[in-house]
Amino acid sequence: MSAELEVSCIVNGEPVMATVRPAERLVDLLRERLDLKGTKTGCEEGDCGACTVLVDGVAVNSCLYPAAEAAGREVTTIEGLTGEGGKLHPAVQAFVDLGAVQCGFCTPGMILRAYAFVKENPNPTEEQIRRSVEGNICRCTGYVKIIDAIKTMIEKGVE
Amino acid sequence: MSGSECRNYHRPTSLQEALALMAGAEVPLWPVAGGTDLLVKDHRRQMPPGPWEMMSLKRVPELGGIEADGDAVRIGGAVTMRELAASTMLQERHPVLAGAADHMASPQIRAVATIGGNLANASPAADLAVPLLLLEAEVEMASCGGDGGPNLRRVPVAGFFTGPGATVREPNELIRSVLIPPPPAGMVFASHKPGTRPAMVCAHASAGLGLLLDGDTVADARVAFGALADRPVRGPLTEDALRGKPLNEETLERASETARTEVSPITDVRGTEAYRRELAASLIRRLIRVCRT
Amino acid sequence: MSNDAAPKIPRESLIGKRIPKLDGPERATGRSTYIHDLVRPRMLHGAIRRTDRIHAKILSIRTERAKSLPGVKAVITADDIENVPFGHGRDNYALKGDKVTCERDEIAAVAAETEAIAREACRLIEVEYEDLPPLFSPEEALKPGAPLIHEKHEGNVPFRYDYAHGDVAAGEQESDVVLEDTFNLHFMTHCCMGSSGILAEFDARGGLTLWSLTQVPFLYQRDMSRIVGVPPERIRVIQVTIGGGFGSKLDIYPFEPIAVHLARAAGRPVRLLFNRHEEFIASPTRQPTEIRLRCGAKKDGTLTFRDAHLVHDNGGRTSWGATTPFVMMHCFSSLYRVPHVRFHTTVVNTNNPCSGSMRGYGNLQATFAVESQLDRLAEELGMDPLELRLKNCLEQGETTGQGMYLETCGQRECLTTAANSAAWTEKHGRMGAPEPHLKRGIGLASMVHVGGGAKIYHSDGCGTILRADDYANFTLITGSSEIGQGSETVLAMIVAETLGVPLERIKVINDDTAVTPWDVGVHASRTTFVAGNSARGAAEKARAKMLAAAAEQLGIQVDQLDIRRGQVVKAADGEVLIELGKVIRKLHFSKKFETVVTEHYFEPSSEMQNREFKGNVSPTYAFGTHVVEVEVDTETGVVRPLKVTAAHDAGKVLNRLGIEGQVEGGVAMGLGYGLTEELVLREGRIQNPDFRDYKLITAPEMPEVEMHFIETDAPEGPFGAKGIGEAPAICVAPALANAVYDATGIRFRRLPLTPERVLLSLRAGRELLPRTSHSPSAAEPDTP
Repeated sequence: MSAELEVSCIVNGEPVMATVRPAERLVDLLRERLDLKGTKTGCEEGDCGACTVLVDGVAVNSCLYPAAEAAGREVTTIEGLTGEGGKLHPAVQAFVDLGAVQCGFCTPGMILRAYAFVKENPNPTEEQIRRSVEGNICRCTGYVKIIDAIKTMIEKGVE
Repeated sequence: MSGSECRNYHRPTSLQEALALMAGAEVPLWPVAGGTDLLVKDHRRQMPPGPWEMMSLKRVPELGGIEADGDAVRIGGAVTMRELAASTMLQERHPVLAGAADHMASPQIRAVATIGGNLANASPAADLAVPLLLLEAEVEMASCGGDGGPNLRRVPVAGFFTGPGATVREPNELIRSVLIPPPPAGMVFASHKPGTRPAMVCAHASAGLGLLLDGDTVADARVAFGALADRPVRGPLTEDALRGKPLNEETLERASETARTEVSPITDVRGTEAYRRELAASLIRRLIRVCRT
Repeated sequence: MSNDAAPKIPRESLIGKRIPKLDGPERATGRSTYIHDLVRPRMLHGAIRRTDRIHAKILSIRTERAKSLPGVKAVITADDIENVPFGHGRDNYALKGDKVTCERDEIAAVAAETEAIAREACRLIEVEYEDLPPLFSPEEALKPGAPLIHEKHEGNVPFRYDYAHGDVAAGEQESDVVLEDTFNLHFMTHCCMGSSGILAEFDARGGLTLWSLTQVPFLYQRDMSRIVGVPPERIRVIQVTIGGGFGSKLDIYPFEPIAVHLARAAGRPVRLLFNRHEEFIASPTRQPTEIRLRCGAKKDGTLTFRDAHLVHDNGGRTSWGATTPFVMMHCFSSLYRVPHVRFHTTVVNTNNPCSGSMRGYGNLQATFAVESQLDRLAEELGMDPLELRLKNCLEQGETTGQGMYLETCGQRECLTTAANSAAWTEKHGRMGAPEPHLKRGIGLASMVHVGGGAKIYHSDGCGTILRADDYANFTLITGSSEIGQGSETVLAMIVAETLGVPLERIKVINDDTAVTPWDVGVHASRTTFVAGNSARGAAEKARAKMLAAAAEQLGIQVDQLDIRRGQVVKAADGEVLIELGKVIRKLHFSKKFETVVTEHYFEPSSEMQNREFKGNVSPTYAFGTHVVEVEVDTETGVVRPLKVTAAHDAGKVLNRLGIEGQVEGGVAMGLGYGLTEELVLREGRIQNPDFRDYKLITAPEMPEVEMHFIETDAPEGPFGAKGIGEAPAICVAPALANAVYDATGIRFRRLPLTPERVLLSLRAGRELLPRTSHSPSAAEPDTP
């Protein structure tokens, strides 16, 4: 019999009260309990980055982040990255416009990681940009247009 | 799916509380800082059978911080790789450590993985082990000491690892901090983890060198190897092959050949023994070159 | 009469523009529903109990403990189902009851309330085995007296392929130089980021709906019908958004009929998903093969003959890998002009994982052999590798020895464009490196592949229905599938271009066999070409109908009218006459009561090859050349690709953004094949079934990619386009290996060029193969 824990956190700007199992992962809380299916699992071992979300603005692998640890923190998933007036968020728009989306499975995690990176690094080097998504695997694009999209985000600035 | 046997997730807010929980634990209590190794273990169903509990260290202030302690540096056990890599103090004083932290896994993992976790998990390939061995760091562990505050003990990193996944840490102990003494004045450090990627590589071989030159002669040398034995190790024979010698081709050759035979790598899916020995030899040459420039 | 004040619309075209994918926003915002996100009412979760042994008889299966686990609703074994043999070798079954022959074999399956319970129940299923002697290489399996893996395949050889044109013996006579090499190509796999899965649901009348990842929905519908015993007209296949395909979804795998049997047994919908570990263990691989290749040339560089002898490791169950010789033949027979060619493949059963179809379908392996050996030949002849290829270059209008008619052929231009852009002549044999421990080199390789499908089935066609609503919005209903490659967007572009309406007016429906016309499926780089022509045909009919109506309504001749930006205009100067929607409404609500709904089925002009494998199998062929520059670190063995210069004959570039994405992605896949990706096997078991130790290319590892598109205007292609979905993956690895030779002087005949292989080979001065790597041939050369 395992204890269940009450977790109170903010997800995409909205307060959430959830009951979680002790070793439940953040990805399970998001996908199963909160029905936020935009976060994907690619490997469940922290090796591919598909499950990337932001916790207090920092990109983490939600497959390895304990749900209980989210208590008191702010979680941002791809559903929380929205633009003004129903438009796409500029980071998402950059990925779409530059052709950085093919099958799209890696894309939510990739965008969130890129977004967190650009917010923290307004003036990165080429190498830093490439390394920014070294933990996000894409099998479709060869990363070229993903890097282009990140550069566009840097040029235009992101909020 | 994970976590079917985990019964509780504790969130102590002080070191005392954390240590008391560990002392009083009735079922195995796993301290979790980043959790990246633990949750993978759980996912792979490699946790021991039966009930267990987790204790988060993320809100224990005594386990944070990178501070100067005189000439030494004290790093809290729950300091993340990301913090290590970004620390200007470490970049200035111990770039070999900051650099190794920056080349571990991925940014997402670095954001939560900690120095304490890296040490406690004790992979022979642990990213921070090589620089910490070079720097002759000490691991400070704490256990519940009743009213007088925690019991502390320090162990040199070189004596901390006892085998793959094994350390001298007792089940009721936490890694409170890592202490880095000032290195010998003028010693230059370098380390390298080869691979096709800058990070995202579970080391199949890595090496580090600390070199103190007196003109063209090696006044002192420190060598450390990762993923080349059943634990991260120093390389005393390779050090001897360098110490007191002039830095010429003959010394380079002897040192790298000593490294080749000094290490005791295994053959596994990441590489054969022969390849790893070849890397050990090669890395010594490379590190000497890097240290000289 | 003309009206100077009326707005005028110029002629415009979408062709060649950079058009973001129409479904990009859905996918990028996480709204797309992949199989992992799909939920149906009362759905159960399926899991599979796989074998513990590699080659064994099954003596007993005990399921009582599984059945009594709370939450378990159905447990099935082979005895509970009609176990119909399927697959190209008819040697696969949904569940194995008699024997197991490889690591992935499925013995039982469970449907339960949660996936965790289903997997737990699987762990409670006990199986007793009697081990059989295992065979881990074709060499072992071919030995006289070797146990039979499948009784029906005599000598463990289910298939043989033989092809020839000309007379190899005569060719050898004419040769001044003859070379022989043996190449070994390894196990690697698709690694789609979205792992496999299926959802099966029976309705109240026994009809079956399959939410599937298949790329061939109509063939799938027909084949599943036979396997699970539901009439095909009662099966509806709905294609779910997939997280990558790359050829992995061209076959039916046991987990799919298993889900159907579970749904039947439990009386509820069943969704069965693979986790990543299972994805590695149970997915098909790229076909591993040993290629013994001999070739000859005259001293002036004219190629005389090629003699290829291949042995395929077919693994324990047959999938499409066994048919890769069909494609490999094209390379051996027609990559450059060779008058005498002979090709033989023996496909051999073993207890290794089985291989399936994977982007390139055998062409990567064949091209690696041909293009590596050609470099060696150039060296023997004292010729520049580029000159040797140009000397034997195919030309437009030529028919190759295998009967492939090259109505257009950009091979020469691809070679010269890539070579010149990469400064080949300055660099080859002469690249310096910034530091003494680094070496740099440059290499090139070309490819040829079908560019408009391959006629291997009775029809290689595709159907389209196009429907206009009353406001000039159009719905394109196509039999072809979107597998992430952007085909939906290209088809919408073709329709918008043909009709003369904005792209936003086109909606595409492509994922439901209950609605869409027939298409043979997504493979052989056919979708742009075949589905594109089908869509164009339907659009032209719609355009003709609407213009005829407009002409009648306006009292102007049809050939004086055009449609631009959704307006009917005067063709001569673009003067706007009437909005297209009005024309449609007038047609609809007038005495005619007609709506605009058209259809078109397009069958390409290709032929099925005859019994000798000869014939024009595709209506068009894609050519490409890659030039790769590398830097080799002689201290660590790391090969760093610096730049890839790619020239592709794509006929016509339709969506510039999309085609670039295909090339960049294909280059990444080719680099993985050449440098980092390898499934390591030991005694039939995959040792690295995870992303930690199976290394995909990541962002920091990608080199600069420079692309050139040669437009040869394929007459039969939509707006001149050819299909190049596979092309960019095909010749990267040989160009890379040739570059490594240029840098180091070491010739590699096996892939991938991992740091371990390269470092130890550098030390030895020749190619070495260390022990941990699997070799399709049992004979291991030296280990140090």
